[in-house]
This record gives sequence, structure tokens and C-alpha cells, in this order.
Amino acid sequence: MRKVLLEAAAVALVGAIIAFAANAVSPRGLKLNRDYFRGQTIEPIANPTPSPASGGTGTKSELETLAAQLKAEGLQLIDGARARELFDDARRRQDEIIFIDARNLEHYREGHIPGAYQFDYYHYEDYLAAIVPLCQKAQQIVVYCTGGKCEDSRLAAKLLGDIVSKEKLMVYGGGITEWTSKGLPVEKGEHTNAPATK
Amino acid sequence: MDLQQQTKIEAIAPGSPVKRGCASDWVAVAGRWVLGLVFIYMGVSKALEPDEFLKLVRQYELVSNFYLLNILAAALPWFEIFCGLLLLTGVAVRGAALVSLGMLVPFSLLVLKRALEVASAKGLPFCVVKFDCGCGNGEVLICSKLVENLALILLSAWLLLGNGRRLALRFSLFERGQAGNY
Repeated sequence: MRKVLLEAAAVALVGAIIAFAANAVSPRGLKLNRDYFRGQTIEPIANPTPSPASGGTGTKSELETLAAQLKAEGLQLIDGARARELFDDARRRQDEIIFIDARNLEHYREGHIPGAYQFDYYHYEDYLAAIVPLCQKAQQIVVYCTGGKCEDSRLAAKLLGDIVSKEKLMVYGGGITEWTSKGLPVEKGEHTNAPATK
Repeated sequence: MDLQQQTKIEAIAPGSPVKRGCASDWVAVAGRWVLGLVFIYMGVSKALEPDEFLKLVRQYELVSNFYLLNILAAALPWFEIFCGLLLLTGVAVRGAALVSLGMLVPFSLLVLKRALEVASAKGLPFCVVKFDCGCGNGEVLICSKLVENLALILLSAWLLLGNGRRLALRFSLFERGQAGNY
């Protein structure tokens, strides 16, 4: 039994060394010293009440919670109708209104709101150089992620809110799930003006 | 008589009662491979999207310190791959099985606790509760996930008892004559 315990300790030690080394060299690895959730608490499990406004992608309690969180952070929540309005606004073509997709590259490539710029919150250092000038130039910025319980758009907006004025930042709570469920246009692959750094 | 001698006798005496032991060792080898492949699969799927895994681990409220949370989410996928490779190749099998138990048992209890909370909060029957438990398979029925985990726990315990020696590169690190078994 002692030998088994020794063996398990050896496996654990070598495994831990290999695991940290692999995380360090992996391009998708996590930064151990980064507070990804910026002190956010976890929402309690709630009994879902489908929200008619969400198109079935978010529950009323989820959207209410998100709205309250954003308000506390000086940000605002927008619904699908407002997101569509901003999408159709001619100023979007001049990048005065921009959409930011806070999901990772794989999900972004699978389909995003046409013209949206990708900004993977968990690897934001790779995107800031390209995204910040766009945000500084834009008058209104819509950030979205999957929708529902997805926190990435809020976290990304909060991060961008430290760099540009919070007043122009909006979070589209329904996200890409609501957008596609409404049959609105979706673009696949890279952005036509993809940031040079990514 | 040690297990090595016993297994040789089993191979010499076909039809004898000990032949069943020989067959069970092959079953144990298959079990070792299955357990190894499951760990590799689970680890790879998490390592490919560590940020998604980070979010799922956070849901369990295991640790309040973000540094510890990052350590868990960053290391666990690769650690699972490492254990899976040891089991698959048959290196330090009992040690790897013990470590596997050390991961499977607490994790299954955490999933059970969360499933009970979800069932209670949403007023659902337990076996209808479905969520992404961070197991590498996306959203799953927790009832079936727990049964699957129980099977993996039993398999790990069986290997811990010294089964699955055949085709092992080095079954035990600290016992002589274990390299290149059979």
C-alpha cells in the first residue's frame, strides 16, 4: 500500500508539472494571475420564466439580473429590437456604430453579426491594439456574446468601459442566439476587416 | 505465489478454474484502456477551450480566490490527459488509478450537489436535471453522468487492486520485474 501511495504521489507531482508547462505553452492557456471575472459573484440558480422579449434565449430573471448588473456598472442593456435598429443605422458602415463579438474565434467563425469585430475577452491582450482605436472612434458600441447566461459580453463591456466612455457601450443580452432565432443575417468566417494582430 | 507466477499457471492450464482469472485480466486491460481513453477525451476537450472550462469550474464555487480557480482550470485538463496516457500505456497503473479516484470521487460529489440544487431551485425531478457539468461532453443528463462516473470509479478501484497488468509497459514504478509484462 505504501508503494501505491508513493506511486500516486509521483504521478500527481509529475502530472502537475506537465500540466502547468502545457498550460504555459498552449496558445489557449489561461493566465494564472488574471482575475477573469473581475470580482463578480456567481448568480444563484433561478427558476426560469421565459421572457417573451428574449425570443426564448434568455429567461426573464436572467435578463433582469443582467440589466441590474450592467446598471450598477454604468452600462446599459439593449434588446433585440434596439440591436436591429443600430445594425440598420447607416452610421454602422462608417464604423460610427460598431458591433463587438465577445466570443472566441471558433464561435465567431461559425457565425457572427455581419461586420462585428471579434474581441475574445479571455485573450483580450491579442485584440486590444485593433479594437481600442475602433472603440475610440465609434459613437455607439454594441457588445454581445451567445446570450442567455453568457457573461462574456458584460465582462468585455466592463473592460472596454475602463478604456472608452461607458456611455457609448451597450450590451445586447439576447446575443447571437436571439439574433439567429429571429432570422437576421449572419456572417461566417473572418471579419472582412479583421484586426491585423489576429 | 505472486500474481505473475499465478498468471503463468493460468495460461498453462486451460479449462481449469484459474482460466477465468486469465480472462478477467484481459477484461481489466480493456477496462484500463477504456478508462485511459475516457480521461484523454475529457482532458483534450477541456484543454481545447480552457476559458469555457474555467467558467464551468467557477459555477461549483469551489474556491473564492481567482488564482486558485485559474490553477484548477488550467491544470486539470492536462492532468487528466497525463493520467489517461499512463493508464492507456500501463505505466504506474495503481498510482494513476488512485489519482483518478481522487479526481472522480470529489468531482462526482460536486456534480451531485449541484444537480440537487438545480432540481430543488427549478422544481424538477432529479433525473431530468441537465447542465454542462464541465465533464467535456457539453450539456448532459446528470443522472446518466453520475452512473457513468460510478462505473469509472469502480473501474479505477479495480485497477487499484492490481488488475490490468497485461500489455502494461511498467505496471508499477517501485516494484522489480514489472517492466514489459507478458
